[in-house]
Amino acid sequence: MLDLYHWEPNGASGRVLIALEEKGLAYSSCYVDVLAFEQYRPELLELSERGEVPLLVHDGAAYTEASYLCEFLDEAFPSRPLLPSDARGRWEVRVWQKAVDDGFAASVSELAWQAYGGARGVGALAPGALCAAVERIPVEEGRELWRAAAAGLGEEQLARARSRVQEAVKKIEAQLTSAQWLAGAAYSLADVAVFPYFKYLPELCPGLVSDAATPHAMSWMRAVAARPAVRSALARGRVVDPFTVAAPGPEQVRWG
Amino acid sequence: MVELYFFQPLGSNSGRVFLALLEKGVAFTERELNGRAFEHLRPEYLAVNSRGQVPTLIHDGRIFTEGTAICEYIDDAFEGPPLRPRDPRERWSMRRWCRFIDSDLGRSLMMIHWNRIVPAFVGSRTREEVERILCGVPDPDRRRAWRRAYLQETPPAELEESQRRVAAASQRIEAALAGSPWIVGTRYSLADIDLFNFYAFVAEWSPQIVNDRLTPHTLAWIGRMRERPAVRELRARTRVPPSPAAAST
Ligand SMILES: N[C@@H](CCC(=O)N[C@@H](CS)C(=O)NCC(=O)O)C(=O)O
Ligand SMILES: N[C@@H](CCC(=O)N[C@@H](CS)C(=O)NCC(=O)O)C(=O)O
Repeated sequence: MLDLYHWEPNGASGRVLIALEEKGLAYSSCYVDVLAFEQYRPELLELSERGEVPLLVHDGAAYTEASYLCEFLDEAFPSRPLLPSDARGRWEVRVWQKAVDDGFAASVSELAWQAYGGARGVGALAPGALCAAVERIPVEEGRELWRAAAAGLGEEQLARARSRVQEAVKKIEAQLTSAQWLAGAAYSLADVAVFPYFKYLPELCPGLVSDAATPHAMSWMRAVAARPAVRSALARGRVVDPFTVAAPGPEQVRWG
Repeated sequence: MVELYFFQPLGSNSGRVFLALLEKGVAFTERELNGRAFEHLRPEYLAVNSRGQVPTLIHDGRIFTEGTAICEYIDDAFEGPPLRPRDPRERWSMRRWCRFIDSDLGRSLMMIHWNRIVPAFVGSRTREEVERILCGVPDPDRRRAWRRAYLQETPPAELEESQRRVAAASQRIEAALAGSPWIVGTRYSLADIDLFNFYAFVAEWSPQIVNDRLTPHTLAWIGRMRERPAVRELRARTRVPPSPAAAST
C-alpha cells in the first residue's frame, strides 16, 4: 500500500508524483492544500512532526524528503529503475539531487512565491488575513517559514535567489549541450529532481531561460513534459497550470 | 588508482571521506592541501574542483566531489564491509540523518566555528590581502559567508539560531543513541561516519552541550567510534597544519 500526501504537482510534490508514475506503481493520491495549511492537520502531524508534504506512507511507515523518498521507491521497487546501474551514474544523480536540495529548490520557490504567492493573496485568504492564519500554525518551523514569506522577501534575498538560479541554469544548459539527460546515459531521478522546478523558469525568468538563451535545456524540458508518466503526474493537481502557483519552499542553506 | 584531496586536521567534509576509504580498506594517495595557505584556490586545484572546495576524490582519472555523494560512491564502487544498511527503510533513514548532519547541524557548527577561528586563519594578512583572497573564492555563497565571518558581520541573530540548532540536534542525537548503539538501526553506517566527523569535537568545544550528564549515550558512542580500527587510523593520520604565518611564506 502506498499513500502519497502531496500538493500541486510542482516542486517537491511533483518530484515524487513523477517518480511514482514513472515506476508504474499503484498508489493513492491524497491532495493536501498547502495554501490552506492542511499539511498541519493533526492526522498529518501524527505522521511527521514537521507537517510537510510530500509525505509517503508505505506499510504504516512515513517517508518525507523528496530526494530520499524517490531513492527509497527505486530501491524498494526495483522494476523500471530510475537510478543508473553504474556507481558513477548514481553519484551524478546524487550530486544533482543535492544541488536541488541545497539551493535550487529554495531559490526557485522564493522567486515563484514573490511572483505568484503573497501579493496575490494565499488560497482563499486575502493578504491581510494571512498573518492571523500563520500564527495558528502549530509547528514552530512552519510558523517561521510562513511568517517570513508573509512579510515579503527582501530585495537582497531575491537577488541572491536570482543569482543562484542563474548559476544552476548555466550548469543545466552546459550539461544538456553535450548529453541528452542530466546524469548518466538515460532519464533518471536527476531529471525528475530538476524538472518540477525548472518548469517554472521560462515564465519566471524569461531573460534567463528561453529558446534563445538555453535551447538545450528548453528541448530537454519539453521532452520530459511529454513523457506519459509526467503528464499523468501533472494531471494530479487542481489548478490548470501548477507552475503558476507557489508555496514557501524549503529553507536556503544557512552557511555557504 | 584512487587519490584524495583534503585538508588537515582531518574532520568534517575531508574527514568523512577519508574515514569511509579507511573503513572500506581502499588504498589511496594522499593529496593534502593547506587550507591556511589557500592552496585550494590555486588554479591547479580549481581545474580539479571548480568550487575550490575539498574533498575531491579521483578514481581511475574521474573526478568526484560533494562529500555525501562521494561516500555513497565509495560504498558502491569498492569491495569491503558495507557502509549502508541493506533495508530500504533504514537507508532512507540514514540518508536523512546524513543530510541533517551536513546541512542543518553541520552548517550551524561551521557558522559558529568559522566566526571563532577566522582571526587565526587570516593571521597577520592585511585587509587588502584578505579581500584579494576572498575575490578568489569561486562559490558566491561561500564567499559571502567568509566575508561576513572575516568582518565579524554575521548577524548575532543568525549565530544564536545556530546555537539553538546545535543544542536541539544534540538532544535528537542523544535520543537516537539512547535506543541503539549506532545512529541508524543496529549497524554502523555512513551516518555514524558523518556524525563523528562533524560533531564529535563538540564534546571538547562545547562541554556544556555534550557531557556525561546531558548526553551520556553520545559520549559512549564517541568511545565506541574511537575503538574502531579505521577511526584509530584516522586519528593517527590527523595533524595540525603549519600556522598561517609559516604557510603563507
Ligand atoms: N525538503 C522537502 C521540502 C518540501 C517542500 O518544499 N514542501 C512545500 C511545498 S512542495 C511546502 O509544503 N511548503 C509549505 C510548508 O512547509 O508549510 C522535500 O524535499 O521534500
Ligand atoms: N558541499 C561540499 C562542501 C565542502 C566544503 O565546504 N569543504 C570545506 C572544507 S571542510 C572547504 O573546502 N572550504 C574551503 C573554502 O571554503 O574556501 C561537500 O559536501 O563536500
